Amino acid sequence: MRETPSTIELRIRRQDGPDTPPYWETFVLPYAPDHNVVSVLMALREHPLTHDGRRVDPVCWDHNCMEEVCGSCAMLINGVPRPACSALIDQLEQPIVLEPLPKFPVVRDLLVDRSAIDAGLRKVHAWIEIDGAWDTHEPPPRIAPQQWATDYLYSRCMSCGCCMAACPQFGAGSEFVGPAPLAQVRLMNAHPTGRHDKTERLHAIMAEGGLSDCGNAQNCVRVCPKAIPLTTAIGELGRQTSIQALKDLFGPS
Amino acid sequence: MSAPGAIVVGGGLGGLWATLRLAEAGFPVRLFSLFEVKRSHSVCAQGGINAVLDTKGERDSIDQHILDTIKGGEYLANQPPIKSLCEQAPGLIRTFARMGVTFSRTPEGGLDLRLFGGVKHRRTCFAGASTGQQLLYGVDQQVRRLESLGRVEKFEWWEFLSLLIDADGRCRGILAMDLRSLEVRPFLADTVVLASGGFGQLYAPKTTTSTNSTGAAASRVYQQGAWFANGEFFQFHPTAMLGRDKTRLMSEAARGEGGRVWVPRTPGDRRDPRRIPERERFYFLEEFFPAYGNTVARDEASRAIWRVTRELGLGIGGGDRVYLDLTHLDRRFVATRLGAILEIYRKFAGSDPLDTPMEIFPAAHYGMGGLWVDFERDTDGGMRPGSARNHATNIPGLYACGECDYAYHGANRLGANSLLSASFSGRVAGEAAANYLRGLDPARPALPETLITAERRRQEAINQRLLDADGEENPYTLHQALGALMTERVGVVRDNAGLEQALAELDRLEARLARIGLGEANRWANQTLVFTRQLADMIVLAKAVTASALARDECRGAHHKPDFELPIPEGKFPGDPEFEDYRARWRENNTRWLKTTLAEYAAPRPRIHYQAVDLSVCPPSEPRDYR
Amino acid sequence: MTASIGNRHFVLRRLHSLLGLLPVGAFLIFHLWENSQSRFGAEHYNREVVEALQGLNYLVPIELLVIALPLILHAVIGLAILRDQRPEPLRYRYARNWAYWLQRLSGIAILAFLVLHVGMTRIQGLWTPAIRTDLYGHMQTLLSDPWIFTLYLAGLIASVFHLANGLATMAIVWGVTTSAAAQRRFAWACTGFGVVLAALGVHGMLGFLS
Repeated sequence: MRETPSTIELRIRRQDGPDTPPYWETFVLPYAPDHNVVSVLMALREHPLTHDGRRVDPVCWDHNCMEEVCGSCAMLINGVPRPACSALIDQLEQPIVLEPLPKFPVVRDLLVDRSAIDAGLRKVHAWIEIDGAWDTHEPPPRIAPQQWATDYLYSRCMSCGCCMAACPQFGAGSEFVGPAPLAQVRLMNAHPTGRHDKTERLHAIMAEGGLSDCGNAQNCVRVCPKAIPLTTAIGELGRQTSIQALKDLFGPS
Repeated sequence: MSAPGAIVVGGGLGGLWATLRLAEAGFPVRLFSLFEVKRSHSVCAQGGINAVLDTKGERDSIDQHILDTIKGGEYLANQPPIKSLCEQAPGLIRTFARMGVTFSRTPEGGLDLRLFGGVKHRRTCFAGASTGQQLLYGVDQQVRRLESLGRVEKFEWWEFLSLLIDADGRCRGILAMDLRSLEVRPFLADTVVLASGGFGQLYAPKTTTSTNSTGAAASRVYQQGAWFANGEFFQFHPTAMLGRDKTRLMSEAARGEGGRVWVPRTPGDRRDPRRIPERERFYFLEEFFPAYGNTVARDEASRAIWRVTRELGLGIGGGDRVYLDLTHLDRRFVATRLGAILEIYRKFAGSDPLDTPMEIFPAAHYGMGGLWVDFERDTDGGMRPGSARNHATNIPGLYACGECDYAYHGANRLGANSLLSASFSGRVAGEAAANYLRGLDPARPALPETLITAERRRQEAINQRLLDADGEENPYTLHQALGALMTERVGVVRDNAGLEQALAELDRLEARLARIGLGEANRWANQTLVFTRQLADMIVLAKAVTASALARDECRGAHHKPDFELPIPEGKFPGDPEFEDYRARWRENNTRWLKTTLAEYAAPRPRIHYQAVDLSVCPPSEPRDYR
Repeated sequence: MTASIGNRHFVLRRLHSLLGLLPVGAFLIFHLWENSQSRFGAEHYNREVVEALQGLNYLVPIELLVIALPLILHAVIGLAILRDQRPEPLRYRYARNWAYWLQRLSGIAILAFLVLHVGMTRIQGLWTPAIRTDLYGHMQTLLSDPWIFTLYLAGLIASVFHLANGLATMAIVWGVTTSAAAQRRFAWACTGFGVVLAALGVHGMLGFLS
């Protein structure tokens, strides 16, 4: 059993703006056993003093639900991308090193711009085409509970971006949409109505930046905080695109 | 004059539904959110969404749902909107399912239903343990579809600052701030739908709500003249697991499956709970409520915990915490029945509830009150579909929906009705706002440029003043003071002396806020500045809540003032003179207090007045009697 | 243009994947089997293996179209793919991530090795008839140099790894293995295949030294 520390030491990679160079600062806070990374950062913003007593700007970071469902607070914690709210201090090696989620443009400090996820979702048509948001007075499509059980795994994706941060194929200069949007294609293609637009979605991910750009490093599935079977989705989409290519070649398309 | 357009503020369930309906009506929509819309607080709702599908052979009925909702709110909500809410719930669920929401399924592949607190029938649709998240993603995807068609434009990382109101008092647009560059920019529109969520952060950190549930946006329109209704009604969840950043919901299932709530009998006992012998444990719920024991209703449980910790001083280690103990139960039984919630506790508390008793405390969970909104009664007794009056605030052109309105829950909210009201009200508000746009005079004059410029300058001046401020007060420290004050004085149990003190204390907090120093001058993505602005508006809103609570001298739903309690005479039943006397006093109390509280902004204290409640569906005839 | 077959990107990536197995991978298997004949002595090797192959009709077109061209295509597309990589083997020490990184490293290594290997044998043989008539002797001389032996061993291991790992990922790319369990099982099968193939190759190298 580890000895209970009396302080929490944080090393934070900071950056004042998107185009300014990053720098490191060290902070030491009083220890409490019930801290997580978000609550430590909250304590820090009240008294933003470096370990040598210098008063600095409060650290910027993103957080909202603090229950690991909104996906806001993902960052690099001791080198691993993960949500900060569920990163308990007692389970982390000190000093705790915090860096912005890599691969996404830094806005300020630990705050990053994850609009690439939204763009990816738009690119792959991650929605069901419905006539409109009104009642059609028909029973909803039936879905077997077995299918539900696998679909539900994918529908829990909260766009935190951890999978994309860990992906060696995703990042600035790459067109790859990343694992999260791909998994949504798997989900939408399985839905009884979503199936109608399967071809369109598959063609979208067979284009530049699509499925072919996956390098099968499979870091995504290892870091996903919701344990979403991203690589299974990628395998299934491999099969779907193979069949789609045959259909495109030989018909019927 | 340009083609009419709409602005929606907030991207939770309510805001996204309103966006969908406005865009489907053919109007361009600009959607503003403090963050990516799919991160909204709607994702936190775990339990489910009520709709009478009656697919379980239990002869559930819509009338029963209406009645449960009305009675759950202790008759304080207008009834026509509730009638429409319950009637249209099944259609709403079907629409969600068409959007691809992963509702849990029966073996036949139909929508499964579960039993939820306070009702007799299985009526709650759910999607695993993350219903809110799944519902939100359903509408989020549809909004993204419309966005790709160019019919919706999202402004994420923008904060609503104020309404642009013309000389006729009509809402004509908003002023918003880019949270990165702090640029303040006017956006013109002929209608604004506010769907900015609840205000649980007034009670931080003892709240289950998200950081962004500050109520600041609602407070801003309240300060511009919108009425804030029933602010004193705030639901506290009795069993929230403690945390420094927030308290997290611990499902009532933990008590339902046999969990026991206790504290050490000795004040300040700091022994390991497992070492405290049975006779030195105070199972207070079992002692206070012999008939119900640990499964007593939410409100009663919250008040009992409050009494034990704050009045008897028996909280664990003298603090705000009591044990919720599962360790006496069969491990395998608990693991199968409560797997998901045990996982949450392990993940965030780092200890296993099967080994160590959980530590819990009541937490601010849901605000029944909010911006006052209108409705038009239809001939069938419900809300008239499409009426431009539905969900309209008292500022023409401004609509409100979701947790930031006050419409459906009265004095207390039925479990699994919040996702329903958020979705339904968003849909109704969107349709109403669309019809408002259709009815606009095409020759309406443009908003004068001078008015826009003046409001922009005013808002920019606030930013500049904050950037220049070098006072000694820290906004985050003040927020904690606010949360502690509200929890202590305007929380589970209230009394008038305490509420008076709270109002005075809020004035002092406001004075301290004037001596703020941000401690940073970086204009880029300055979160401290943004939060300080929000905090100022939170304090104003806290005053409305506190003044409303002070004014209401009764116990109703979540608003509990022991000094004005009307207890049912024990052992007396209808016919007994003592009971009849009670019934007479109960009627008198309703005559006096069965009214909507309306807070109108005024400095230094809000003006409180009352409005009759529409009881046309089911008037209260008898006191509730659960014996 | 969204149709997949009209999209160069998809076609090229799948072509790259396919070429790695057919014919390039298949040729590697054949080549290592062929050279494993070295242990049956110089005479057997030079006559039964080398002469037989050299006696094939259309040998040069076969060599160019079935071996050289696919190999070059595979290499060129592979080099283009390299542009997108941002490997972080130290941050993510998972086997699959290492395999991802090593696949790219081995690709480059194989390319360098092949230039030397083909140069020292097939190309040099164009103007040195002795190499063609006594390839066994030539190989014996080369491999007796410990530096060259090490180089060959490295080239062999890199090629076998590249093929075995390529097979495992190819199954995912084409959607043959989808579940994590299937991917894991097939990865083990590919590992076994790689070990056997590497043994065959080493066996062949040692055969020249006996």
